[in-house]
Amino acid sequence: MVGPLYDFVANPFGAVRLSFEQAVAASPAVDPVAAFAGKDWGALDLFRDFLLEKGGLSQVPILDASSRQWIQPNSLVRFRGMVQDMLGKELYIGAFQDGSNWRTNKYSDGALFPMPAGCQSAYESNLWERLLLHCVPVPGHNSWAMHSTPPQVFRNVMDNSMYEHGEKRQRDEEIDENNEHGGSPSSKKQKEGEHPCQLNHSSQGSLVQGGFSEPRNGASLSCVIKMYDTPECDLKLNDVFEFIAIYTFDPEVVAYKEDADDLMDDLLDDPLMHLPPSKVPRLHCLICRKLAIQDFVSSPLSVELPSMIKGIRGSLLSHLTQVLGNDGLAGECLLLHLLSRLRARVDAVSVGKLSLNLTGFNGETASIFGNRITSAIQSLLPFSQYIPLTVDYLNTATLQPKKNNQTGRLIPGVLQLAQGTHLTIDESHLQPGNLDSNGVHNARLLKKLIEQLSVEYDFEFYTSEMTADVQLLILSDGKSNIMPADLVLPFCPNAVNSIANPSPEELQSWRWYLDTLRSLPYSSQPDLHQDELVAAMREDRSLGCQQLNRWLTMARLISVSFGEEELSLEHWQMFKEIERLRKERIK
Amino acid sequence: MASSDYSSPYGPPSSPDGHSSPIPNTDSSPPIPPSTNGGRRRRRRTPTPNPNSYQTPTRSSIPPTSPLSNTFSTPRRRGTPSTPLSASDAGDEFSDPADPTPVFVWGTNISVPDVNAAILRFLRNFRGPHDDPDSLEQGKYMRAIDRIIKSEAGESVDVDAHDVFDYDPDLYAKMVRYPLEVLVIFELVLMDMVARLDPSYEKHIQPRIFNLKSSVSMRNLNPSDIEKMVSVKGMIIRCSSIIPVVKEAVFRCLICGYYSDPVLLDRGRINEPTRCGRQECLALNSMTLVHNRCSFTDKQIVKLQETPDEIPEGGTPHTVSIIMHGKLVDSGKPGDRVEITGVYRAMSVRVGPTQRTVKSLFKTYIDCLHLKKTDKSRLHIEDPMERDDNSSTKRTASEDDSLDYEDKVEKLKELAKQPDIYDRLTRSLAPNIWELDDVKRGLLCQLFGGSAVKLQLGTSCRGDINILLVGDPGTSKSQLLQYMHKLSPRGIYTSGRGSSAVGLTAYVTKDPETGETVLESGALVLSDRGVCCIDEFDKMSENARSMLHEVMEQQTVSIAKAGIIASLNARTSVLACANPSGSRYNPRLSVIDNIHLPPTLLSRFDLIYLILDKPDEHTDRRLAKHIVALHFENPESIVHDVLDLPTLTAYISYARKHVHPQLSEEAAEKLVCGYVEMRKRGNFPGSGKKVITATARQIESLIRLSEALARMRFSEWVNGKDVDEAFRLLEVAMQQSATDHATGTIDMDLITTGISASERMRRENLLTATRNLVMDKMQLGGPSTRLTELLEELRKQNSFEVHLNDLRNALATLMSEGIVSLHGDSVKRI
Repeated sequence: MVGPLYDFVANPFGAVRLSFEQAVAASPAVDPVAAFAGKDWGALDLFRDFLLEKGGLSQVPILDASSRQWIQPNSLVRFRGMVQDMLGKELYIGAFQDGSNWRTNKYSDGALFPMPAGCQSAYESNLWERLLLHCVPVPGHNSWAMHSTPPQVFRNVMDNSMYEHGEKRQRDEEIDENNEHGGSPSSKKQKEGEHPCQLNHSSQGSLVQGGFSEPRNGASLSCVIKMYDTPECDLKLNDVFEFIAIYTFDPEVVAYKEDADDLMDDLLDDPLMHLPPSKVPRLHCLICRKLAIQDFVSSPLSVELPSMIKGIRGSLLSHLTQVLGNDGLAGECLLLHLLSRLRARVDAVSVGKLSLNLTGFNGETASIFGNRITSAIQSLLPFSQYIPLTVDYLNTATLQPKKNNQTGRLIPGVLQLAQGTHLTIDESHLQPGNLDSNGVHNARLLKKLIEQLSVEYDFEFYTSEMTADVQLLILSDGKSNIMPADLVLPFCPNAVNSIANPSPEELQSWRWYLDTLRSLPYSSQPDLHQDELVAAMREDRSLGCQQLNRWLTMARLISVSFGEEELSLEHWQMFKEIERLRKERIK
Repeated sequence: MASSDYSSPYGPPSSPDGHSSPIPNTDSSPPIPPSTNGGRRRRRRTPTPNPNSYQTPTRSSIPPTSPLSNTFSTPRRRGTPSTPLSASDAGDEFSDPADPTPVFVWGTNISVPDVNAAILRFLRNFRGPHDDPDSLEQGKYMRAIDRIIKSEAGESVDVDAHDVFDYDPDLYAKMVRYPLEVLVIFELVLMDMVARLDPSYEKHIQPRIFNLKSSVSMRNLNPSDIEKMVSVKGMIIRCSSIIPVVKEAVFRCLICGYYSDPVLLDRGRINEPTRCGRQECLALNSMTLVHNRCSFTDKQIVKLQETPDEIPEGGTPHTVSIIMHGKLVDSGKPGDRVEITGVYRAMSVRVGPTQRTVKSLFKTYIDCLHLKKTDKSRLHIEDPMERDDNSSTKRTASEDDSLDYEDKVEKLKELAKQPDIYDRLTRSLAPNIWELDDVKRGLLCQLFGGSAVKLQLGTSCRGDINILLVGDPGTSKSQLLQYMHKLSPRGIYTSGRGSSAVGLTAYVTKDPETGETVLESGALVLSDRGVCCIDEFDKMSENARSMLHEVMEQQTVSIAKAGIIASLNARTSVLACANPSGSRYNPRLSVIDNIHLPPTLLSRFDLIYLILDKPDEHTDRRLAKHIVALHFENPESIVHDVLDLPTLTAYISYARKHVHPQLSEEAAEKLVCGYVEMRKRGNFPGSGKKVITATARQIESLIRLSEALARMRFSEWVNGKDVDEAFRLLEVAMQQSATDHATGTIDMDLITTGISASERMRRENLLTATRNLVMDKMQLGGPSTRLTELLEELRKQNSFEVHLNDLRNALATLMSEGIVSLHGDSVKRI
């Protein structure tokens, strides 16, 4: 069989153009402008066929700060990012007639062929529209999750040998990827060592300056994504997507406004003005897919035997315990915390969250265990952030995402996070000091986040609440009052032991375990717990609704950690034991 | 090239008789193409008496073969002239120049004379619903035009699109579909009409259409709306400075001094003539702009953003640019919520001459025709409490603005008719807080509120209901408060611990720039006509609490500070919650002892609820069940048969605004009887003690409560049942708070003085006993006795329990009578 007439990867426009011409030719009686507005004429099928059926996905390079250097404009790329801002719609001339030929402008910034002069007004009445998104790399994206591919696709990459074009560099990339997955721990460690550090550094640094919006020196690559034929309701702020898109980038600085009409342009203009095509690449999305955590985690080879889950639980628990200096109780609590997830929101009550406050971190322990905990979490969860809380930080950082109505852009704050991000807040360095109004505001935001798992976005004239499903771990000396967590546990490390480096297989199974069990459904069996709760309430009159809520959450999480959907008496007893130990420790 | 250049049908720019603004309605130059400015004036001043004369210029201005009709045709979406499709589509509409009848604007179904006549008919004959259709008086719009001419102030006539629709649905449809064309004709008609009524009237009158039958959400504006009339609601987020725009430019030849004819605006720009217009000169590139002979108009670009309620979850607000012209400039400020009626338009992104790639992008904007402020942030703030007679006219204009609204009202009324609405409302209030049904009922009453009465002397009787919740920690008081704060219009939530007197009421500051003293309002003033929720009322400083006295009864805040003497309205309902003084409620003590609030303040609360955490297996079980359900069941299944928050808020605000119940005979009777009954209860036959079970404040509370209850049913009359329920509510609240624990009867003295009648009696007895004891046992000037000895003695003598403290109190009284002297622990008779 002869290959396609065009190279999908290097010249995607060829496919777009050809399919459009075919479609026009197939139905000569119809006005293409009206007929193909807002729908696909078959180009996507071509791409889908090539990418998914024929395994072409493996040839498509992933766009990131490093690969950006060599990826040619107008080629096909993959990009993973979080929807940071939605920039509204853009109208354009979708199709026009050039002599006898019909041309389309879909999937391109400007016309590829010169449009006949004066044709603008002719098509004014029948414009097509596309959505604009501003996407940034997911904040706190840990390096191990950077290049992993969804399992089913990934396997394709392995056995399919479709490297026809001999794209050497790309192959190298692929090998790198493999290394990352199966490589030796030492290389892994080294990588981790540089990446998270860089991430934290860049985000911290920019916090002070007020946001990481503009990509400087290519460290973080943000893109403007143009979405076609996608209803806007399918897209949400802070969703993580993978886009397969046509990459266009115009490094030449274009004088955008040259007329005397500046004043008018200034206000009529869109936010794109501040994201000039010379700095921010444009991606014309062909296919997009919403990513969940499991897309970053590859599953272990055999699946879901109860005994196996128990085994993984055991090994993960012992790892966490080790990390926490042989504090078994803290290990248990940390495991439950990592498994927690916002299940539902009934009015003001958020069900299912379990924020954890480990107390007793002072000078020495803080520096040793703080780092250990954060790096352990970094290696387990795809997205994690670490915030060292100081008075200075509270006063200077912009935690709240804020809409700048001058530029029409949403300026990201630290708390604009992807769903499922883990946030570690280290309060152990907090010294007494004065908070200014910004500091108080930030403290309030944090408190609201931990209590209701929602962040207020500032839209200048009003605020709008966005849910933020994040896991919050607080490390502090005494009980934190800025961040009142659900579960407070004094941390008692026995020994500063060395941690055995987990093998990649172990890491992989742990990641899979955490992700799979987090999304385990609940099944009901309420009678038992009711009696238990009533009994407990009779024993201790001070038990409030909040406490009981936490009890049930923890008990549930214990059974979840064993991979069980129902809460059995055994696990309830286990919870009570943990709670008893915890109470003892607090005294 | 001619046809493709004219994107605006209003700008037939190549001919000198063309006219200039990209927007028809806002340009004060007439849209008909007079040959010159002077020509226009001439024509205007010579109107013919013939009533049909106005049609003449129109007909001549848009003949099918003239270049103007061509300009009309180009932007029409029906297709390009080259597309055979549109021709077939437009079929019979397209008029052959040879065919004299009928004349359509190319690509539309608009026949100029027809539309012209329809508009004229509408203006002349339309009569509002309040006008007598047979009267000889002029119609609504003729009167409006008259008024404008007489006052010489206006430049525009507001035209209610609903009126147009009622009179001529076809005209309405055409106007929305082809606003550019229809508005030109509309303007022509108006202009001629004015010219005939008053030939000397110089100003140009434009139609401003508003109140379209349906409004589009900004999110749903799409390419098919381009060049249609749309109405969008949103919030202004940004205004540009005012931009002067040249309307007509005059050029002068630098060589011969020849002045060109005024050059009109073409698609936002003026084309500078390249050569001198005089035949003798014809110099190239010699023309220069003469600024002071040009005429300018104001323009402003405004960014409109979606209001928060229209943004779907997880989305960011959309914005759209609005262009304002002439009078509309500066009519809205950033932060205003407005409804804009205008024409949605697209403009191609201009490409510089050096740029080779052709841009295919378009920018969109709305040419504003009419701006209406719709201040409906946080539900209807305006006037929920008082009747305002002169608002009725406003109401028709601002509220019944859409079918949508009426639909909603209908639905609310349906709801109100349901027999169990009271219970449903109760259930819907904070559904995740269980039990406490009577407290919720009280809170509902607070939300609905009674009617404020203004007496002739200027004093007023508040309609707001104040509620105090006292309870054990962990009984979800704060959650109730939060919920109420969310629900009430203009709710303010403060915590007593952090509030000072000035923060609650008002304070005076110095403006750092000017040095002037400025009055800043605090929480109570800010929540005027809302609910001010004060958490941790007991932790508030004495000073701050005392400020509340005035607020809670007089509903004003008076300030006399730094040269400013002011009295601000603070018509707010206060919802406070407090913890008992020992962290748990001590049932053996009275409310006063438990909360440590001055009785004067307590008496200002209509309802005082004690929310006690009583050990009760039943409640515990329900609580447990609730929490378990929260965790194990689908959250949707838990909430059953309750009104959702938006409905509830809409229901409440509608009731507050539109329902003003009055007492019926029956209700008044019942109130009087009930009150007398309550007072009587204090008189136990044969008992010497007088217990006050009700005070005048209670009857006011009762009236407010029963009014609120009637409001809940959308009833204009308070009936007997409401009064019964009000009594029940009051009694429930009082039973909890004003019950004298010693006797088990309700005693208002507890609230008003802090001491119950039985307590007073007890103290009295003790005092007598002590006096007797002292008189009996102790000698005048004899040796002193220790307190404890006295106490033992008293206990021996009397049957009742005596505490050391009580004895001290009694001795203190005796001391003031001059019978004894007390030094430390020793008592001495003097």
